[in-house]
Amino acid sequence: MLSPILLYGACALGAVGVMLALPRKTVSPFAIGVLVAAAAFGLALVGLGVSAAQMGAGHLPNIHFYIFSGIALFGALRLITHPRPVYAALYFILTILSSCGLYLILSAEFMAFALVIVYAGAILITYLFVIMLATEGPSADAVEALADYDRAAREPLLATVCGFLLLASLVTILGSGSASLKADPKLALDGQAKLMLMPTRVETILRNARDGVGNPLMKSGDKIARNAQGLPEMKLTGDDRFVKVARAGGNVDTIAATDLPATLKLENVEGVAFSLIGEHPGAIEIAGVILLMAMLGAVVLARKKVEMDDAAKKTAAGRNLVDPALGPASGSGGAA
Amino acid sequence: MTDLLTIAQAAMPAPMPGITLYHYLVVSAIMFALGLIGFLTRRNLIIMFLCTELMFQAAGIALIAFSRFHLNHTGETFVIFVLTVAAAEAAMALALVVLLFRRKETLDASGWSEMQG
Amino acid sequence: MNGMIGSMLMLGDAAPAAAVALPAGPVAALAVVGLPLLACILTGLCAAFKVKSKLPAWITVVSLAAAFVAMVMVYQSVVGQGGGKAHIVHAFEWFNLSWGEGNGQRLIANFSFYIDSLTCLWMLFVTGLATLIALYASEYMSHDVGPGYCRFFAAFNLFVFSMACLVMADNLLLLYLGWEGVGLCSYLLIGYFYKKPSAVAAAKKAFIMNRIGDLGLALGIMLTFVQFGSVEFSVLFDKVRPFIELAREGRFAEIPMSVQAIALLLMVGCFGKSAQLPLYVWLPDAMEGPTPVSALIHAATMVTAGIYLVARFFPFFAVSEYALPTVAWVGTLTAVLAATIGMAQFDIKRIMAYSTVSQLGYMFAGLGVVSMEHLATMSPDQANVALAAGPYHVFTHAFFKALLFLSCGAVMHGFAGQLDLRKLSGVLWMPGWRIVGLAMLVGCINLAGVPFTAGFFSKDMILAEAFSNSHTAAIGWLLLLTAGLTAYYTFRVYFRVFLGPKHYEPGDELHAHDDHGHGDHGHGDHGQARAVAPAAKHDHATHDFHPHPPGWAVNTVLATLAIASILAAGTYFIKWVPGLIATASTAIPVAVHAGHEASGHAAAHAHGTILGMDPHAVMYYVSGVVGAIGIFIAFLLHYVGRTTAATSKADALLPYMGPIPRWAQNKWYVDELYEFLVRVPLLVMAHVFHLIDKLIIDGLVDAVGLAPRGAGWSLRPSQGGVLHGYAASMAAGLGLILLLVMLVMR
Repeated sequence: MLSPILLYGACALGAVGVMLALPRKTVSPFAIGVLVAAAAFGLALVGLGVSAAQMGAGHLPNIHFYIFSGIALFGALRLITHPRPVYAALYFILTILSSCGLYLILSAEFMAFALVIVYAGAILITYLFVIMLATEGPSADAVEALADYDRAAREPLLATVCGFLLLASLVTILGSGSASLKADPKLALDGQAKLMLMPTRVETILRNARDGVGNPLMKSGDKIARNAQGLPEMKLTGDDRFVKVARAGGNVDTIAATDLPATLKLENVEGVAFSLIGEHPGAIEIAGVILLMAMLGAVVLARKKVEMDDAAKKTAAGRNLVDPALGPASGSGGAA
Repeated sequence: MTDLLTIAQAAMPAPMPGITLYHYLVVSAIMFALGLIGFLTRRNLIIMFLCTELMFQAAGIALIAFSRFHLNHTGETFVIFVLTVAAAEAAMALALVVLLFRRKETLDASGWSEMQG
Repeated sequence: MNGMIGSMLMLGDAAPAAAVALPAGPVAALAVVGLPLLACILTGLCAAFKVKSKLPAWITVVSLAAAFVAMVMVYQSVVGQGGGKAHIVHAFEWFNLSWGEGNGQRLIANFSFYIDSLTCLWMLFVTGLATLIALYASEYMSHDVGPGYCRFFAAFNLFVFSMACLVMADNLLLLYLGWEGVGLCSYLLIGYFYKKPSAVAAAKKAFIMNRIGDLGLALGIMLTFVQFGSVEFSVLFDKVRPFIELAREGRFAEIPMSVQAIALLLMVGCFGKSAQLPLYVWLPDAMEGPTPVSALIHAATMVTAGIYLVARFFPFFAVSEYALPTVAWVGTLTAVLAATIGMAQFDIKRIMAYSTVSQLGYMFAGLGVVSMEHLATMSPDQANVALAAGPYHVFTHAFFKALLFLSCGAVMHGFAGQLDLRKLSGVLWMPGWRIVGLAMLVGCINLAGVPFTAGFFSKDMILAEAFSNSHTAAIGWLLLLTAGLTAYYTFRVYFRVFLGPKHYEPGDELHAHDDHGHGDHGHGDHGQARAVAPAAKHDHATHDFHPHPPGWAVNTVLATLAIASILAAGTYFIKWVPGLIATASTAIPVAVHAGHEASGHAAAHAHGTILGMDPHAVMYYVSGVVGAIGIFIAFLLHYVGRTTAATSKADALLPYMGPIPRWAQNKWYVDELYEFLVRVPLLVMAHVFHLIDKLIIDGLVDAVGLAPRGAGWSLRPSQGGVLHGYAASMAAGLGLILLLVMLVMR
């Protein structure tokens, strides 16, 4: 894969960039940091691309990969380096959207949209709500001031070094096997076989498909023929594919393999459905239980009342900088 | 053999070579590392949880990439569960953050260090 | 008849399956041993049932009297009818082990008793004296009636049983059992007043010093077994005969060293038990025990156990080139040393104790001067007389020393524990003390060697033997000097305490012993009163104290002993003891020699002389003169012109003698020397080991404990309570593991 020098050099450069980008008490050279990190990332990708190109044209991911991943990583970087929580959450949404794009080019349409709906649309909104809820009111001297803990990153050097060491080792390990990684054909989903389990779907597809003349392959009223046991007579796997259609007029037709449309394939959603419900039914139940418990737990936790008056709370926080005379005005922004 | 694979990925384009998989894995690893750094660096509790969500994201990308590579939908199924767990965890985490915030009026993670040895 | 009954009643094997088969002895011998044991058990039961009368004393006296009677019967049977030859009486089988067929692979040591004339001699005076002293003790200890009384007599009986086992033992192991038993009882009885720290210390000292000697004895027994394959007397005496032949001709080089070493090792045990140099320092301190104990154990019986061993094992001592001379010289030096110390003491019991040590030295010397070569030049009769000198002195000394101690005890008892001769005077003239005074006089003249007393005859036999052996003339002169010193200090005591102006001061036990019968109640009260107002008590004492003359029991015993001491002189003329020795095992050298008498050895006299004269003829006169000089000096210094109890003319001489009297009074600092040589190094070692224990061993254990503590202490910072810290460590750990995997995969 990547030669070690390139890899580790890119990691080091990226570390430097991230470290520069992290917020600090004085003005943070964020832009420089981003540029450096971007350079590192670019270096890594270029190196990857070169080695991929050396192996053959088909080995490069398409251009969309680069765009989406670039935006995703930029969003991630900004997420961890932005001092303000709200902006961090918004950058996270950007990251999610780019990830969604990555999923699309990986042929996982359902997951892409599920991601947007669930993650960006539910979880992140919740985060935003809580951020709004839990941000304490600005102190008396500056309205736009950041909280102390937001302003400065904690041990940036150590954390960055740790993280990039981890990254280096991860990438090395992942890379050491990827070139020779081969898909196991036994694991491959036989989409046509699954489609055979869905005669109604087949009928819908055939009704929407047009043959070379422009006629639909199946008209309304046509059904797939059933044999004596009531099973649909069609075979979509193998070389001898056919579909027996019982026309509305009563005669039985056979659509041969050459006539079958190209759209007669398993959609992503259907595939996921077969995998999810067909192969992991227990996990679904468990997931449901998890969600139930989370819901209950959240309700229970959020109901707990903490009986402390404002002054005591502020003292507990160690931030009793506010003039007690101005108590209500400054405390109201943060109180639950 | 190859046409079996071709036919098998009825909804997928051509099989993914290993190195392309590696591209996606690298991206996932970088995102994970960034999330880890963010978790270790930031002191705002909510930002820390956001970073954990970022790590979930990275895992998700890796899973989908593997799913695509192995030409089945098991990875995507798994990502559904990851999503589920992430949601549950986010709910609990935020409830706890709210409680903690109520107690001390601060989101500073270093404010809670009483359980020390 | 006794023999027949004995043989019918024997349990187990008749005689040991060795080469020698000895005739069975009278079964009365079992009574001699068994009766004291029975009495011990009964008095122990008295203690358990908290008897508060004098019952234990009567049990003891009756049992011991019966044992004495039994002993007389045994004497009649063995010596009268059996000719004094050895008889075996078997009680029960004790050790009968065999682990092979060869020599030295069979150990037989049974509870059997070897009774010959030597045994009879010893046991007669042991049981006789024990009876009399038990009677004396019944009155002497009567203030202590209760558990202490029972304890005393139980230990007393146990002592007599152990002594019987020792003297009558058929094998070395049973002898050792008795040896240890008497040591134990000595410890118990010296420490009878266990609340007195000095008594407890004295008991420990006695026991420990005895143990040092016992080590030698034990090694000697082991060596005997290794060398001869048996510990039974009959077998051993048979096997030593060839060596005696060699020794008679002076060919000691041909006798193996291991055989010679047996006597040397046994000798160490004798020195410990019989209080010779260097193991004598326990005996004076043993006077802390009650006087009956001092009289019985430390004058007449236990301390003679060492001499008994030498006498019994004389054949072994004879074949050892250096043993007998060592015994003689150690005895002599001890005699001189103890006499000098005795001259400077003021406590009359201590003086008697030192005189015991000195006389024991005499007895050892008496046995030690008789070497095989010397015996070879004598006729059998002369040889028997020579060998009998030591045992005869034991016999007579037992009587008069017991008498002396008991008299001192009566004085002590009557004057509330006063023993200082500077504070007592003229006791003979006080009413009720006549018998005590006269008894003491009898004892003193015996000890000083006034002519025609038993002590005179026995001491003279020893002196004559010392001079008649030309190699031991120096010993003779030293013993003669000691005789003079003995006479001096003995009559110093008598002239100071019993004669002269009447004066007395009560001793320390004023309130404890004054009111007889009040027992603990009185003791407790007065103990407190003593602490509060000593001055007042003293006034009260000098005004109200009256000496308490002894009662009928004490007087009876003293009178009996005095008469016995006088009568013992008669045994000299009938040559009773030499006759006994002639058939005892002691005389085996003589018996061996007897076959050669005819070849004319008797003619070649190489006798030593004293001042050119034959010792046997003139010894009486010489020692009589020496004794008279000693008594005369004591008379001059301590009687003439003495008006007070505290001082005498001797005190006027003190400045001219420099530091010597003070050194003698401090016992020549021997105790301090032992303290320095033995106790201090041991104490230092103990401290060193204590330190090692504390620092190193405990330190090791603590160090083992430090490991978990250290581990915990080092791991503690990782629990900082800060969330980021934990996350960072998790990430770092993950990174490390991945790195490891990476490196391993390479």
